[in-house]
Amino acid sequence: MFRDVTFGQYYPKNSFVHNMDARIKLVLCLLFMVGIFFVQSYVGFALVTVFLMVVILASKVPLKSILKSVKGIVVLLILTAMLNIFFTKSGNVLVSWWIFTITDEGLIYASKMLLRLVYLVIGSSVLTLTTTPVDLTHAIERLLAPLKVIKFPVHDLALIMSLTLSFIPSLIDETDRIIRAQKARGADFDTGNLFQRAKAFVPILIPLLVGGFRRAEELANAMNSRCYEGATNRTQMRVMKLSWRDLVASLVCIIVFGGIIVVYAMKATWQPILPWMYF
Amino acid sequence: MSNINNQKQIAISVQGATHYYKVYNEDGTVGKAIGIEGIDLDIYQGSFVALVGHNGCGKSTLAKHLNGILLPAMGKVEVFGLDTANKANIFEIRKQVGMVFQNPDNQMVASIVEEDVAFGPENLGIPQKEIVERVHKALEQVGMLEFAKRTPHKLSGGQKQRIAIAGALAIQPQVLVLDESTAMLDPQGRKEVLEVAHQLNKQGMTVVLITHFMEEVLDCDHVFVMSGGHIVDQGTPMQIFANSKLLDEVGLKAPRTVELAQKLKNAGFDVDDTTTDAKILGGAVCQNLQ
Repeated sequence: MFRDVTFGQYYPKNSFVHNMDARIKLVLCLLFMVGIFFVQSYVGFALVTVFLMVVILASKVPLKSILKSVKGIVVLLILTAMLNIFFTKSGNVLVSWWIFTITDEGLIYASKMLLRLVYLVIGSSVLTLTTTPVDLTHAIERLLAPLKVIKFPVHDLALIMSLTLSFIPSLIDETDRIIRAQKARGADFDTGNLFQRAKAFVPILIPLLVGGFRRAEELANAMNSRCYEGATNRTQMRVMKLSWRDLVASLVCIIVFGGIIVVYAMKATWQPILPWMYF
Repeated sequence: MSNINNQKQIAISVQGATHYYKVYNEDGTVGKAIGIEGIDLDIYQGSFVALVGHNGCGKSTLAKHLNGILLPAMGKVEVFGLDTANKANIFEIRKQVGMVFQNPDNQMVASIVEEDVAFGPENLGIPQKEIVERVHKALEQVGMLEFAKRTPHKLSGGQKQRIAIAGALAIQPQVLVLDESTAMLDPQGRKEVLEVAHQLNKQGMTVVLITHFMEEVLDCDHVFVMSGGHIVDQGTPMQIFANSKLLDEVGLKAPRTVELAQKLKNAGFDVDDTTTDAKILGGAVCQNLQ
């Protein structure tokens, strides 16, 4: 039943983006996510489109896998578009029917919002498609390291993430086993209304939960036996090294998104002389 | 069979250790059940010791005393002279006594083999370069080097358990405790784990094997039989197997080969009932028949 569930969506390939340092990828992805909201004009979106195309080409991930993630938010996209179209009252009215009015500004605003959301999802899925969950965990731990100064439990957080990742497969296996065991005793998961089906899952959740506690204790014993004493005096085997790729990628991203932010900030002075930049 | 006799240094010494578990009765009162009671045993350095017993006999409780996961309510446990009851000793004790548990899935802390093995040395605060060396060596010792970059989830039970052993070895302990580490494995996996354990023992590692499979104790130096939280018998495997009445009482059985040899001897065949090798036994039967 849960066999085909893949957690994370790493797409193994040997590419420029795959070989980048996970920390840089994560930071650049955040920069991209913030930057996309400063894009005002179609000219800007054209630039971002070119940028994304270059990134996707450099990642060697097929476009199909990337667009799959967009499919997941189609409902959200439609909803956002409708809200933006119907609730923008300014601009020239194009169509007016009952309480609904559609204006040209509403359409423009909605289309830009759609582009932003789609690009947001594409950008973040490039990160998850080219970075293993383990690498991401390490990256988060290293990036949050400065927070140790204010006693933020960075190590504990990273350990929890790493343990969760390593336990997902065995939890899926166990769920599978319990479902089969309950089915063998005549449990029915496939008929009845939503409420009945939800109720049918209680006999799965209880053994899973009980098993979870047993696991947790065994894991705690195993970790203690291997001299675990929290974050104190711990070292790490993995070294994260920056390469020329990270430098190149960072420079490109800073130029593109730095430019976008400058254009946004200079709107008042540049719009009269360079109107195309703000179309 | 290693050099138990010429090297008499005690690795772990258990003196009158007693441990009770809390039992929550249905009427709300709290009682206690015996985990282990008045256990006395010495484990010599370089030996291969087995602890056998039926389910619930206290063997796992005893195992957890060997590196201070559980502390005795009475009596004491000393590891290379260090008392486990002293909190300051615990770190050092766990560096000396590596432990591998029953369920391989529940002792993996990372989703990549080499990172899991590195967990111990990382906890010790060892420099990065040395961790890499230790991980390499540990994986080599259990024959899992080629799997270093793989995810443990996709491996067989025996392979996962070997990785768990590597995880313990990377800490470079003197004693390796296998707490029913073979119980959940198929025959092939059990064979793999035992081979690794014997290999390590030959290189000088003290091994404590906790099991309820009597076939596994055949090649041990010394066997402790447990029942009801007590040690009811101890000796070489053959001495233990010979006492079939006691084994029966505690719910254990001698390995099939030994049992067969004993039956053949009782039936008047001239066979050595201390052999465990099926071929020798077969040869002896053939000679008798001729």
